[in-house]
Amino acid sequence: MVNFTIDEIRGLMDKPSNVRNMSVIAHVDHGKSTLTDSLLAKAGIISTAKAGDARATDTRADEQERGITIKSTAISLYGTLPSEDDLKDIVGQKSDGTDFLINLIDSPGHVDFSSEVTAALRVTDGALVVVDTIEGVCVQTETVLRQALTERIKPVVVINKVDRALLELQVSKEDLYQTFLRTIESVNVVISTYLDKNMGDLQVYPEKGTVAFGSGLHGWAFTIRQFAIRYAKKFGVDRNKMMERLWGDNYFNAATKKWTNKGTHEGKQLERAFSQFILDPIFKIFSAVMNFKKDEVATLLSKLDLKLPSEDRDKEGKQLLKAVMRTFLPAADSLLEMMILHLPSPVTAQRYRAETLYEGPPDDEAAIGIRDCDPKGPLMLYVSKMVPTSDKGRFYAFGRVFSGTVKSGIKVRIQGPNYTPGKKEDLFIKAIQRTVLMMGGKVEPIDDMPAGNIVGLVGIDQFLLKSGTLTNLETAHNLKVMKFSVSPVVTRSVQVKNAQDLPKLVEGLKRLSKSDPCVVTSTSDSGEHVVAGAGELHLEICLKDLEEDHAGVPLIFSDPVTQLRETVGGTSSITALSKSPNKHNRLYMVAEPMAEELAKTIEEGKISPRDDFKARARILADDFGWDVTDARKIWCFGPDGTGANLLVDQTKAVQYLNEIKDSVVSGFQWATREGPLAEEPMRSVRWNILDVTLHADAIHRGGGQIIPTARRVLYAATLLAEPAIQEPVFLVEIQVPENAMGGVYGVLTRRRGHVFNEEQRPGTPLFTIKAYLPIMESFGFNADLRQATSGQAFPQMVFDHWQLLPGGSPLDKTSKVGQLIESTRKRKGIKIEVPDVSNYYDKL
Amino acid sequence: MSTDLHAPPVLSTPAEYIFEDPDSSSALGKENRPERSDDELFGVYEIARTAAEIKAQNWGRVALQFPDAMLADAPWVVEALNRELEKSQHSGSNSVSKSIERGASGGTQPEQNQNIRLYILADTSYSACCVDEIAAEHADADAVVHYGRACLSPTARLPVLHIFTRQTLDYNAVTKSFVQDFRNKETRVIIMADVMFQEHVAPVCQTLKSQGYSNVVATEIIRDPSSTIPNRSLPSLDPVSAEKHDYDLQEYHVFHISTPPTSLLLTLSSRLASLRIYPTSSSPYTTIASLPDPSATSSMLRRRYALVLRLATASIIGILVNTLSVKNYMSTISTLREQIAAAGKKSYTIVVGKLNAPKLANFAEIDGWVVVGCWESGLVDQDGLFKPVITPFELALAMQSDESRIWTGEWWGGIEGVKSEAYSSTEPTESQETVQSETAEDVDGRVDEEESEPPVFDLRTGKLVSNSRPMRVAIRSSHSAANGTQSNDSTPRTQPNGSAIVKRGTGEIALVNGVASPGAEFLRSKRTWQGLGSDFNPGEDEESSVVEEGRSGVARGYTVGQEQARS
Repeated sequence: MVNFTIDEIRGLMDKPSNVRNMSVIAHVDHGKSTLTDSLLAKAGIISTAKAGDARATDTRADEQERGITIKSTAISLYGTLPSEDDLKDIVGQKSDGTDFLINLIDSPGHVDFSSEVTAALRVTDGALVVVDTIEGVCVQTETVLRQALTERIKPVVVINKVDRALLELQVSKEDLYQTFLRTIESVNVVISTYLDKNMGDLQVYPEKGTVAFGSGLHGWAFTIRQFAIRYAKKFGVDRNKMMERLWGDNYFNAATKKWTNKGTHEGKQLERAFSQFILDPIFKIFSAVMNFKKDEVATLLSKLDLKLPSEDRDKEGKQLLKAVMRTFLPAADSLLEMMILHLPSPVTAQRYRAETLYEGPPDDEAAIGIRDCDPKGPLMLYVSKMVPTSDKGRFYAFGRVFSGTVKSGIKVRIQGPNYTPGKKEDLFIKAIQRTVLMMGGKVEPIDDMPAGNIVGLVGIDQFLLKSGTLTNLETAHNLKVMKFSVSPVVTRSVQVKNAQDLPKLVEGLKRLSKSDPCVVTSTSDSGEHVVAGAGELHLEICLKDLEEDHAGVPLIFSDPVTQLRETVGGTSSITALSKSPNKHNRLYMVAEPMAEELAKTIEEGKISPRDDFKARARILADDFGWDVTDARKIWCFGPDGTGANLLVDQTKAVQYLNEIKDSVVSGFQWATREGPLAEEPMRSVRWNILDVTLHADAIHRGGGQIIPTARRVLYAATLLAEPAIQEPVFLVEIQVPENAMGGVYGVLTRRRGHVFNEEQRPGTPLFTIKAYLPIMESFGFNADLRQATSGQAFPQMVFDHWQLLPGGSPLDKTSKVGQLIESTRKRKGIKIEVPDVSNYYDKL
Repeated sequence: MSTDLHAPPVLSTPAEYIFEDPDSSSALGKENRPERSDDELFGVYEIARTAAEIKAQNWGRVALQFPDAMLADAPWVVEALNRELEKSQHSGSNSVSKSIERGASGGTQPEQNQNIRLYILADTSYSACCVDEIAAEHADADAVVHYGRACLSPTARLPVLHIFTRQTLDYNAVTKSFVQDFRNKETRVIIMADVMFQEHVAPVCQTLKSQGYSNVVATEIIRDPSSTIPNRSLPSLDPVSAEKHDYDLQEYHVFHISTPPTSLLLTLSSRLASLRIYPTSSSPYTTIASLPDPSATSSMLRRRYALVLRLATASIIGILVNTLSVKNYMSTISTLREQIAAAGKKSYTIVVGKLNAPKLANFAEIDGWVVVGCWESGLVDQDGLFKPVITPFELALAMQSDESRIWTGEWWGGIEGVKSEAYSSTEPTESQETVQSETAEDVDGRVDEEESEPPVFDLRTGKLVSNSRPMRVAIRSSHSAANGTQSNDSTPRTQPNGSAIVKRGTGEIALVNGVASPGAEFLRSKRTWQGLGSDFNPGEDEESSVVEEGRSGVARGYTVGQEQARS
């Protein structure tokens, strides 16, 4: 039975200092959902017996089937600190009573679903980082931790699967301590690498209670603090002092009855306090239970003052172990305590998060509302993702109220990602039909929701694609758009089997693109509906959803295809010239490659067309070595006005130039969207307009004359500058035992992979191999790798960068690249030959 | 005055470009035009039949329309026709001495022949396959004789005599190629040919039947582009049954003699099982330069589908009038207008003559075009075009809502058969839902603007588009005014009833029926250069130039200041 009511939760919402918004993040299979279960069991949402197996936050059938989390799921819990005393340990923030509301989001760990993590992190202030005792910090642990830190999210760590270390590896106490120490160190290395100075010290320390140890599967966990409280009385010391003694090089010398930090006494090895006082009882319980020593178990229980429920007394082996440990060290208690004590409340967090959340000036009404987490301020709400409702095709908008209060029935301004204050673009007005509380797979209606809480909204799903800002303040700017660590680079096209089903497919594509933060559905110029995802698994899940759920009609999928980008390898060999159709206007341009770092910076949105041009010019000049005059005269970005191609005006004193700027820009957007080689988007090219001659009469230099000419001259300049193709590349991280490494290398080499890092995980036979693998070659990589290593290697792939496709010039039909271009053109139904430069270049 | 000019003014096109035809239509140069004897030409241009027809119909003034490729033969045809007409008139009467004067404009050339006058029409306004009635009416002609291949679209005003110009055909080669394509003698094949080769269809068919192909059908020409096979009729298979179309065309293959135009290719590919082409080397007057690959039609159709989707989210659509003669073009234009308006979009009707990329790119506001033209010219090659150009058939699909649009691969390029009733893209469920939400209790908030229409999902980019239905508000407000029920939410605040003077806000644009003109909106939001005066932006540290007196006058010769000197 659920042991709290919605009214109680609603009551707590009004006390934002007693709210904790947190996400559970980790590498895949480190036990997030399992650990979450024990929290749900504590709240009475699922039964204690089921906790650990139910994975209640995996609400979809395929999540249960595959045993991985695909969508992040939010759930609200009610937590209580045992005594007023504990409130004193909440450092740096106030609280109001011992009751707390915990809004928890369980997130997927597989790298393909990282976008779900990003969406979860945006609406939370703290993160519970789960790390596997044996596997330690993996690539995805690092990725999500980095994301959390850039969002200014405070982490606490739980080291999970301690039971495996005890039962399977049979490690000694000291070894276990060393393993813990190493894991915590590597977490702290990541934290200090991406540390934001405004956040203070975010590293985790067991002796401060920001690290818990436990087993999600068995439902137990502890922090040093819990043991410190037990022992503090016994030793008669302050518990904070006790905590410090229970970690690190602290020893209790039984002979002298003194604490010391020397490991030896009279030549005898002392047992570390952590081992002696914390691990020892646990080890004893494990050995007693697993060796079926019933009497010993009974004495241990009485010593520890534990009473097993009657139904558990007759259990044996692992079942008994689970029951005993769960009674001894219930996971939910220690985790809740750790979260309440060490994670920030919205009031605390929004104070330092406001400046990274809000696009507008830091002193306007909205910014102040966010900073103060003011329920009476202007409404500022960020919708981070859409959650499907039971009503097919409709969605809850899932988000966080940062300022003001959201109520059912109020009209709000819905600002899409392209909204700019004062303009009407991407702005909609709509009344919110209902507000709901998200409780795992279910929702609970709620009348209103004050700042600092996580909310589901009904009735505005048609106005938002994936995310957006909701406000009631006319002058409000957007809350910052989320930056995902993954990009939709793997695509497959979709077709209906039966032409009559097309409307259903179209509807399905719309729903699909709403339901996932990362997936992109589009239509190519060759008329194919294309679905793009972050990786093969992501795409597979999306397409399965599309066929079975969103569209519900039989579909045909093409093989996975990667996107390509057209670029240039050098500077145009001669100045490209094109004349307008009436021969009275001439454009002169050259193309040159852009520095890869600059292209990346643009794609990350750090340099954007929305920047102030002077500030942008400064960055370009300082960081990328641009000429300041050039940097100030960037006409536009493209394609779509934001891409990583630039058009720079280098002309001197050309009359009427401003007049044709719009037309040239239109031509530029057109040309960068469909490059000359295979109508693929262009990337990382900079064009310089060297000179322009224009007809004296305005009518002869209109759009009709300039737009096609601009496109032609851009193409000519590109074709004269060693045109090339870029392909996307995955960063692959593979964990593999030493004996299977040969297989990994073999598979990677066959697929043009390139290993750049290989290191052994300390204390294990496992190696971590890092390699770059072209996405084009990555299809079927998993299966291949499984075969070559008899299933011992586990790869994680994430898009990393673009690289030049080797294998000759795309203009040479006999080269590999040339053949790729040819097949792409054929697939698109355009003329097979790449047009010669003479089609675009005009003689003077 | 003109003596002062040593060179043509800058405005004129330099001479070397005059004969450069930007279109792909392959005007044959003199060098590769086959030499033909008078007798041959007599046959090709069917002089005797033409003369007989003119006589029989008693036409007084006749316009002879030639495609560009045949223009070189035009004087010969006129002379031959005159001779023929005279001959049949009466050989006894005195032949009137004719003064052959070349028309200065190169357009028309009158020929004297007692009471029958012949005019040459060249440089057709739209496409060579259509009858240029307007040009013929300029010559006050009673009828038009159209030479060369034709789209056979029905015309509105004048009687037309089509002379397809007969071409020769090597029967043996055709049969050989046919046998190669169809090994199975039971295969059902329809044989058709370009109009110029039409006379050969029946003989070829006979030959094949004699070789054992039992299911071979020959086609005949009819003037009905909207029939199953455009402009062709199929003889009844079974002479006993009176049913005309008693076969399922999907079972039939087509064997096409000479290269069909692309629009025919697309039309046929969806209606019949497969298409084989016998390329005729001796078709100097066909318009297609390169041989299209029938297997590429599916990818071509897919590309058309992509264009349809682009138009589906366009906010402004241009109706491009590309004919002035095809019957029903006026009613089609109004149907298109209704369709576009019903979908909440803005339409502009534009005539540019022969269309090309620069002309269309002049209208930057327009997101896409629909061509009203004959069924062959409706298919416009998208290469180099700034915005997509589609056919009325495709527009009807584009204007449908996503919920009802079905793309079967069927395709049609003409204006015939465009449904007259306008599609309404209002989804009933959606509008109901909107009403519901409006009845939701109105809780006070700071936002008091009226609710917006939901944006449209752009299938092409996968993003939401908010301005794809700019005229929707107009429809909504007019609806509610008619109903009178929902007056609270949608009567625009922008219509002050009082006569008080209202100050116009700066940067505000005119409203028509409560809707801002999409064209004006484009000018305001998308164009950075909005006319004189914005060259100098105070924000940028550019120095404005010194004001000096410019040139004035007409393009023929400008003057600077008061002095009469030319620049």
